[in-house]
Amino acid sequence: MSSLTSAPATTSTAMADFNRTTSRWGQITMIGGLLISVAGPLYLVFATGLDIGPAQLWIAFAAVAATFGIIWIVEPLTYYPILGPAAMYQAFMIGNISNKLLPAALIAQTNIGAKPGSKRAELAAVVAICGAAVVHLISLAIFVGLLGSWLISVIPPSVLLVTRLYVLPTVLGAVLVQAIVSMKQPRTTVFALLVSAVVVFVVLPLVPSLAMVSTAIAVLGTILLAWFFRGKAAISEAKPIHIE
Amino acid sequence: MHQPLALQPLAPNDSTDIMAIANNPVLWICVAGVFGVIIIQSVIFMKAARRAAPSVDMSTQDIKTSFRSGAVSAIGPSLAVSLVAIALLGLFGAPAVLSRIGLIGSAAYDVSAAGIAAGSMGAKLGDASYTQSVFAVAFFAMSIGGAMWMLATLILTPLLRKGDAKIRSVNPAAMAIVPAAALIGAFSCLGLTELPKSSIHVLSFVVSAAVMGACLLLAKKLGKSWLREWGLGISIVIGLSAAYLAVGPAVGS
Repeated sequence: MSSLTSAPATTSTAMADFNRTTSRWGQITMIGGLLISVAGPLYLVFATGLDIGPAQLWIAFAAVAATFGIIWIVEPLTYYPILGPAAMYQAFMIGNISNKLLPAALIAQTNIGAKPGSKRAELAAVVAICGAAVVHLISLAIFVGLLGSWLISVIPPSVLLVTRLYVLPTVLGAVLVQAIVSMKQPRTTVFALLVSAVVVFVVLPLVPSLAMVSTAIAVLGTILLAWFFRGKAAISEAKPIHIE
Repeated sequence: MHQPLALQPLAPNDSTDIMAIANNPVLWICVAGVFGVIIIQSVIFMKAARRAAPSVDMSTQDIKTSFRSGAVSAIGPSLAVSLVAIALLGLFGAPAVLSRIGLIGSAAYDVSAAGIAAGSMGAKLGDASYTQSVFAVAFFAMSIGGAMWMLATLILTPLLRKGDAKIRSVNPAAMAIVPAAALIGAFSCLGLTELPKSSIHVLSFVVSAAVMGACLLLAKKLGKSWLREWGLGISIVIGLSAAYLAVGPAVGS
């Protein structure tokens, strides 16, 4: 991190101070955010009289981990070179990185003419993400917290019922297309659709008890096929993989 | 300890009144806590950036410009996220939507995690099997998923800062293929799982997928990137409208 061969001493101490502050407080605030965000559901599970055993939580966790475990690790790895250490602590707590925070950082860097990779660019990104966070928190509080809660109370029950029943397929239909288009890996896409179709339409009707691990089977199957039948023109660069 | 029997629901965990627990005051406090943590972090980072700025030839005006650019460019995406979040309010309630879809996570991952968790209990989100217990476990699964992202960030960032060569030299082909395969595999299986549920599920899925495809195509053809940002929200609204029209008068009766 200290590639300051020609910079004056004050630069290095000032930036060292910045790095120390952001890394320390980035960690503290992120641990805080992590604990608070898990506290809510744990309170529901254990303090409201619902009959849920720890086993059910572990099973749910394992099912999600089997599906997204790889992404948990790969995402921070691929974003680090773009965001830099300080912005990492902001981005992974605020969320919506690729569709909101990255554009915000890039526009700010362009507007002040900061060269990518420079210290100015790093600071500009951190400041821009702060600006984006403010706008995001305000719009969430107003449009979702206030307006949304009011909307829910006034829309006809039939609309609410349709929303509850069918919002899941609409989200997943759109997200699947988004994933396919943004990954740009036609071969992998074919494998994924084939494996999933076999799992959903053949395996599950035969062995319904596999429903719990069906997504994990599809993920593993797709990875194996995509890996063993990967194209000759190996992709040389790992790009950030993120769908919002 | 002697409560009239009438006050005690016989089987509280079988209730499908999700909103009764989804709007629990403690959850609202947690949402406020997450908002607060992000505000504190932003203030600390702004101060640190301002202190360091003069040493790298960054003027006060540059800081202002950066902040304003970030804020302005976030308006569109923030509104787009809000639209998606509103569509999910009926399913998860405001506190879970605000802390999961609005912040920390994103619609794609959190809805998927919730669906997977519900599946692990033999239930489906939104229908008669969606009880309070299923909601609580689904909310837990979303939150623990987000927590794992943060945990990975907390562990990996200091390592990457030290320039750990081992982490960076992971086989690039594997890094390109495996995560993409995992994502497309996960979302295609989750998506196809919706199809056998009913013909309206098929309709919602197909319409929404088609609208997203059109949005992405138009975004590319016309160079309008806002279509990409709003794609998910637009797809959900049109997909749900199609479902509503198809269900027709049968619903709510």
